Amino acid sequence: MLDRLKRYFPFFLLFLTIVGKAQTTLDSLKIELISHSERDTLRVKTLINTSAELTYTDPKSGFSYAEEALAIAQEINWKRGETLALRQQGNLYYVQADNLNALDHFQKALRLSVNLSDDELSSTLNSNIGHIHADLKEYDKALEKYNEFLAFAEASSNVPNQIKGLSNIAIVYNDLEDYEKGLPYLEKALALAKQEDNDFFQAAIINNLALGHKGLKDYQKSLEYYYETARIAKNIDNKYVLASALNSIGKVNILLKNYTAAEEAGNKALSLSQEMGTLEWQADSWEVLSKVYEHQTKTTDALDAYKKHIIYRDSVLNEEKKAELTRKEMQFEMEKQQTAAVLEIEQQQLIKNGYLVTAIVLTILSIMGYFLYKRRRDELEKKKTSDFKAKVAETELKALRSQMNPHFIFNSLNSISDLITRNDTKNANEYLVKFSKLARSILENSEKKWISVKEDLELMELYMQIESLRLGNKLSYTIEIQDGIAIEDTLIPPLILQPFIENSIWHGLAKKPDGGHINIIMKKGDNFIHCVVEDNGVGRSKTLPSQDSKSSMGVKITRNRLEIINILGKTKGKIDLLDVEEGFRVEMIIPFELQF
Amino acid sequence: MLKAIIIDDEQHCIDRLQMLLDSHSESIQVAKSCASVTEGKEEIELLRPDIVFLDIQLHDKTGFDLLSQMKSIDFEVIFTTAFDNYAITAFKFSALDYLLKPIDKDDLAEAIKKLLKQTALRDASQRIETLFHNFRREVEVGQSKRLAIPTMEGLVMVDVDKVIRLQSDSNYTHIFIMPNTKITTPKTLKFFEEILDSGQFFRTHKSHLVNLKYVVSYLKGKGGYIVLSEGSKLEVAVRRKDALLQKLNSV
Repeated sequence: MLDRLKRYFPFFLLFLTIVGKAQTTLDSLKIELISHSERDTLRVKTLINTSAELTYTDPKSGFSYAEEALAIAQEINWKRGETLALRQQGNLYYVQADNLNALDHFQKALRLSVNLSDDELSSTLNSNIGHIHADLKEYDKALEKYNEFLAFAEASSNVPNQIKGLSNIAIVYNDLEDYEKGLPYLEKALALAKQEDNDFFQAAIINNLALGHKGLKDYQKSLEYYYETARIAKNIDNKYVLASALNSIGKVNILLKNYTAAEEAGNKALSLSQEMGTLEWQADSWEVLSKVYEHQTKTTDALDAYKKHIIYRDSVLNEEKKAELTRKEMQFEMEKQQTAAVLEIEQQQLIKNGYLVTAIVLTILSIMGYFLYKRRRDELEKKKTSDFKAKVAETELKALRSQMNPHFIFNSLNSISDLITRNDTKNANEYLVKFSKLARSILENSEKKWISVKEDLELMELYMQIESLRLGNKLSYTIEIQDGIAIEDTLIPPLILQPFIENSIWHGLAKKPDGGHINIIMKKGDNFIHCVVEDNGVGRSKTLPSQDSKSSMGVKITRNRLEIINILGKTKGKIDLLDVEEGFRVEMIIPFELQF
Repeated sequence: MLKAIIIDDEQHCIDRLQMLLDSHSESIQVAKSCASVTEGKEEIELLRPDIVFLDIQLHDKTGFDLLSQMKSIDFEVIFTTAFDNYAITAFKFSALDYLLKPIDKDDLAEAIKKLLKQTALRDASQRIETLFHNFRREVEVGQSKRLAIPTMEGLVMVDVDKVIRLQSDSNYTHIFIMPNTKITTPKTLKFFEEILDSGQFFRTHKSHLVNLKYVVSYLKGKGGYIVLSEGSKLEVAVRRKDALLQKLNSV
């Protein structure tokens, strides 16, 4: 406790002065709070002032005021009020030795004040944060904060703050036992304090000067300063400081072997500290007295005094130990938080890196996947294309085969042979020539995908003529081409209708004793040709209870041909087989194709 | 009365043609039938016929061998063949007549009618020469194929490479030839389209068959236009556009 008091002497002094003349102020502030209940900036200010008044006397009850101030400031969105309330809360935590919460609130306040560009407020907050660093023996950070505070105080010609800044820096150097560095700051501070005519500051600064000279083993000078401190403390009636100074005088006198003076100082200090009930001062006094008695060979008194010194010192030490423990805990807590923060950052980085790596891996995988997919797709495509080509070739062959149906060939040859046997050379000849012409045309056209309707009609007619000859002319046919189809320019797949004509003749008409009729119609549709092949034969039901394999083969091939055309041209050709009242009817939709 | 010789290595073919020609006895008389190249050559030189019905396949030789051995061909030739697309294209190229076996009596009548209408001297030497030229060309690259084009006035021999374009005019075709000639023939554009090499000639339109060699530029449009080196600008049918561009790109 002793160390802390010494260190924060200027800081404490500032508020102690307020406390000194404060009882009336506090009362009037409380009255004002009762009379002014409106939640505005005035009430916030009053609340903060009230809380500030309570900082050193009753910090616990000071909280409620600061909290209300903060709530109202946030409510009315008054940032400066919010900052001040936070700072006050920090102060309250600080005097209760809760450095962690204090630091938290000071930093929150600092962020707000920086946003507000309120440099003065920022600098006081920096100073307060500096105290905490000093408390945690983080002297570098403390010095940094204090220097910032001092620089701003100088820039804004704020003398009291300059004094505080200079003193605090010096105290840090004293703590570091770098007294030489500390002394110039103290002297400068003292000059300013004298200029300001501020006794409290002077007492505190001179006390620290004495400490510094003591550290430099300049005991005479040190003693002079302590006497000065004591004198001023007496003047301003500050027993606390006076007792501390007297104890120091005792200690230095012992070092100078002025035992009488030391005894006198020690006794005065003892009575003062007993009056105040401060253990640490009593311990110090007893220590001084014990050394004096020892020198005076009053062994019993010396032992007695030493025992008392030990008792008080232990209790102080206990407190200090507690404080130290708290400090250690604090430091541990802060380090833990810092470590946690670092870990958090590292983890975030790790996660970020993880995402990045995952993204890269995914990208690479998807690119690879795409290429593999593409290769496979290309292969499938290739296979599909080659399958399709094979199907086209196969269908072409089968189409030729169905047009040049061996059954048809040998039937025709048989008929010719029959005619020759019956000596009907004229008909045999005619039959033969037509047959060879048809065969030639079929062979020639089988290579083509499309031929003109005109050519195709010639082929169909030839075919029907041959079949008519074979069936003894009991077959008749009509071909209707409706307007809109220019037979020379319009294209259809060669002999696409032939299998249906063949079906009609072989299964519908050949079985009818008195022959029959085939009607072929071509109509122009929207984007297609509508073809009809119908007959008045015996019909499907009577002939095909079980599908005739040959006839169905022809239909199947035609379907395949149409399907290939549909795939190549993205068209929708189709075939419908219909039973009609008398005979059979096939309707076919062929995509409309022009030569030019 | 025309004097004819039939040369065929199969007796039933000779018999059939003989039988069919019997119904044309008022205008044509078969003087002799031969079964080989050697015999045929001898008989032709001896009898000097107006017309020779010549089979292509004669044992291990051909009708072309016979013709190539003749000093002069001062007679008309009608080839007879069962199935030979390659030869048929060559006949068409050279404006030579032919009959497919088994011979249809109507086809024969048509061929004889054409023979009788012919007022000029029956001299097939020019066309046979064209035929041989084209056969040779198959071996010797660098020489253009030659096309025998029948016109009102007679026969015009044209290097296929010099044909710029062909334009249909109902049943006639106008042929534009380098450097600046136009001839008209009573053949359809389809006839030429079928015999002319499809790699070199392209049907760009219902009425146009174009030698791609002479295409200078293509102008965009619905079907677009092509401009030929001699300056003519021809419309391209919408349906032919894609195929044309593909062809032009590959040339």
